[in-house]
Amino acid sequence: MTGFGRRLAGKLAMGLVMVWAVATFTFFLVRALPGNPGDVQYENYILMGMSPGQAQARVNAVYGFTSHEPLPRQYGGYLWQLAQGNLGQSTSYSGVPVAHIIGSALPWTVIPVLSGLIVSFLIGVAAGVVAAVKRSSRWGGLLSLSGSVVAGVPTFVVALLLLLVFHTEWHLLPFGGTSDYEAGWNAPYVGSVIEHAVLPVCTYALLSYGGWLLAMKSSVISVLGDDFILAAELRGITPVTRARYIGRNAILPLFTVLALSFGLMFGGSIFIENTFDYPGLGSLLLKAIGTRDYTLMSGAFLLITVAVIAANILADLCYTLIDPRVRR
Amino acid sequence: MSRPKTLVAAVAAAVALTASSACSGSAKKINGGGSDGNVYTSIDANNPITAGAPMNPFNASPNTFLGYDQMQLGFDKKNPADPNDFFPGLAASWTATDTGLTVQLQPNAKWSDGTPVTLADIKTSVAVAYTQGLAGPSAATANPSAGSLEVSGVKDLGGGKIEFDEQPGVKNLYFTRLALSLTIVSDKVYGSQVPADVWTTIAAAQGPDANAAKAAITKLTTEGKALAAFAPAKDVSAGPFVIDHIDPGSAVMNRNPYFYDVKKIAPKQVVVRHFTGNEQIWSYMKAGELDSAPFTAMPTNVLNQVLGAGYTRMDSVSFVGASIAFNEKVAPFDKTAVRQALAYVIDRDAVTKVGEPVGGVPNAATTGLIKAQSDTFLSADQSAALNPYKPDPAKAAALLQSAGFKKDSSGQWHLPDGSAWKITLQAVNGFSDWISASAVIANELTGFGIPTTAAVTTDFATYKKEMGAGKYAFGWWLVALGPQTDKAYNRLYGSDDGFVYTNGQITHNDSGWEHTPETYAVNGQTVATGPLTAQLSVTPVADQKPIIAQLAAATNQELPVIQIWDYTRVQFTLNKRFTNFPKTGDEALLANPPGVWMMQGYVQNK
Repeated sequence: MTGFGRRLAGKLAMGLVMVWAVATFTFFLVRALPGNPGDVQYENYILMGMSPGQAQARVNAVYGFTSHEPLPRQYGGYLWQLAQGNLGQSTSYSGVPVAHIIGSALPWTVIPVLSGLIVSFLIGVAAGVVAAVKRSSRWGGLLSLSGSVVAGVPTFVVALLLLLVFHTEWHLLPFGGTSDYEAGWNAPYVGSVIEHAVLPVCTYALLSYGGWLLAMKSSVISVLGDDFILAAELRGITPVTRARYIGRNAILPLFTVLALSFGLMFGGSIFIENTFDYPGLGSLLLKAIGTRDYTLMSGAFLLITVAVIAANILADLCYTLIDPRVRR
Repeated sequence: MSRPKTLVAAVAAAVALTASSACSGSAKKINGGGSDGNVYTSIDANNPITAGAPMNPFNASPNTFLGYDQMQLGFDKKNPADPNDFFPGLAASWTATDTGLTVQLQPNAKWSDGTPVTLADIKTSVAVAYTQGLAGPSAATANPSAGSLEVSGVKDLGGGKIEFDEQPGVKNLYFTRLALSLTIVSDKVYGSQVPADVWTTIAAAQGPDANAAKAAITKLTTEGKALAAFAPAKDVSAGPFVIDHIDPGSAVMNRNPYFYDVKKIAPKQVVVRHFTGNEQIWSYMKAGELDSAPFTAMPTNVLNQVLGAGYTRMDSVSFVGASIAFNEKVAPFDKTAVRQALAYVIDRDAVTKVGEPVGGVPNAATTGLIKAQSDTFLSADQSAALNPYKPDPAKAAALLQSAGFKKDSSGQWHLPDGSAWKITLQAVNGFSDWISASAVIANELTGFGIPTTAAVTTDFATYKKEMGAGKYAFGWWLVALGPQTDKAYNRLYGSDDGFVYTNGQITHNDSGWEHTPETYAVNGQTVATGPLTAQLSVTPVADQKPIIAQLAAATNQELPVIQIWDYTRVQFTLNKRFTNFPKTGDEALLANPPGVWMMQGYVQNK
């Protein structure tokens, strides 16, 4: 086995252990939450006009998917099913497979969050370099200030502001849902999906941009003070080559954060999805917690865990490619 | 291609796609909203769109919509004087008989595939109801006197007449309303999901052999699980609309050309939009995108914005009230004088103005019912005799002093044992009206000399669990859930208060969290609240007045809860694309979803 193969195998094994540990932790954690799935629905049925007896009978029927076995046995069954790729059946969806529900919501988290992440990373990194290089100028100061300000503004404030301006007041962009057209691979549908994603993507990008800018600026300033830059300048390298040297070295710390962000995006962005009524994984997770849908909660947490671990492994492996020092 | 050129090309492609979405005619636009007057856009408050959920009304998160594609034999008018008063649905008319109910189906009742609604559909629907806890002994076991839909058979009398036979020996006052409220599904779609021997199992569940009945109920419930998860490939509806498709943000329904009264249905399409909370509904309304919208608790400034967007407000009675409940096991709330004193301190007008300024009316007098309902049952003299507990600090102070409380020099009240009296008022996260109102009440009580903290529980599941465990002594609670009076009083003197049914008899134990006494002494009479509540469920509405007079007087005197406001059902309509909406005062219509308005000839193209 080559060195790369051994490294990959080791990381995969470690990843599996971490997935098991997190799956175990979340399994017991979600079941430790007070309340049970039937309680909330019982109350809803009462409010809908059912008698207590009817409401209880309906809860028994609809929430029959809630396991009443002892926890260790439930845990054993969960791991056994998980090993076979089965995430279980949702209680709040009366037995619909959790994988199906998550699969339905997944694209509507990946599309806006991934787009927002890429946009914010590209703009943030470029602005960070400028802010660092021109840190003594007015433009550098303004860029840094913009990063600090947007990084400090709460998500819901930015989301509500964009919603108010671009939807409610100016009627420029749509709000709610994912498209105005029936799904299909045609231009109107894809165009409408893009239109609907603009506000969530902009919100995410705007909020993340500040973090990337400040991190990149700090990293560039650190690299600017390195001896090898001074030596290179003394050798008379061109400004473009100098910028490449700085960029390649300064971006390394951000690369790990970017990889982890790719993993974390599967958790969705609850505030953004909620404000723009965008039906992604964040909204789904919120509903699962509210209804105490243990299997759905476990499934969603597991997806986030696996994604973060996979992204981490990928980042580690890619790091060896982009940073020769790690290969030594 | 160089990198900048690639980037430019990608941006150009995205812009072109976006632009083409506005001008292409080849794709089917679903969320018509602004431009197509024939598309009716709304929100189902009880049923947000849930991505991945089946088009199955029996699922806990169903993607079907009452009054549009989900049909019943009739639709409840929520008439407090007649619980069996319904709008026609798939049943054109009905007659209650000594042995059950005879229903005349609509002459042209058809499914969206063009086939007629038949006895097989009704029979399958009843069988499904048994597997879902919506009918049968499983419900009756829990509370026999409350009754459940006990159908022993469904027969075709010919000419579209269907007979529902009530189980011999059972006489349920609400048999008609329960039968008319059944969700009717297609036998072609759901028949295969119901076991062939289901009626044998139902008969066993209704039989005299207790063990066999129990086994049959378990069997029905087990069979119901698969049915609740069943995902039909397409919607087959007998309602005015049929689901075209569901996407994560909306359900799109086309007018059903086979609907029995299709000439009355003006919109060619209905779009029911997804929402996750009140704010989304407000945003849709501020932008004028909804043709009608359900009530959501909203502050006055939002109401003004909504009205400013062109919406018309329609108010109707909502049979539910907000109250503060006591755990009487916790001193000093076990003392009637203390509860009465608190009622005199809380200014319900002021609290409602902040907590529920749009959808609430300050409660007139705590009776266990909302005012609109208590006025139906109580005489003018009886209503006048109720104590309204108008804010009166002097009376509150006198009551506390009579109970042994003392006020110190700083104005703070002390318990009879001399210790300082502090109160925590519990509300639930997400219930914005309760939280806002808690702050006002806490201020009022603190100002009176009882330091009060407003606390919030993380969510309702936790609240319910902890309330049941006796963790809260003073917290918010919904009461007066009508229009059926037995249900309203069950909220106060039911299982939460330790009244349980054992072998058909009502008994009182310590299992609830309210811990009120088993009986009250009111005007020299003993009022047994639990048994009287149970009695309501087997007493015709016309004969309920004496029972309600006792329960209302007892509740008003003893205050197991302090009712703060009666909710008002506020709805909004936009007369921009459609006209002829119901108006304030059309109580029966406004108690139903817009699909029912349309069935009655309302909502026409503008």
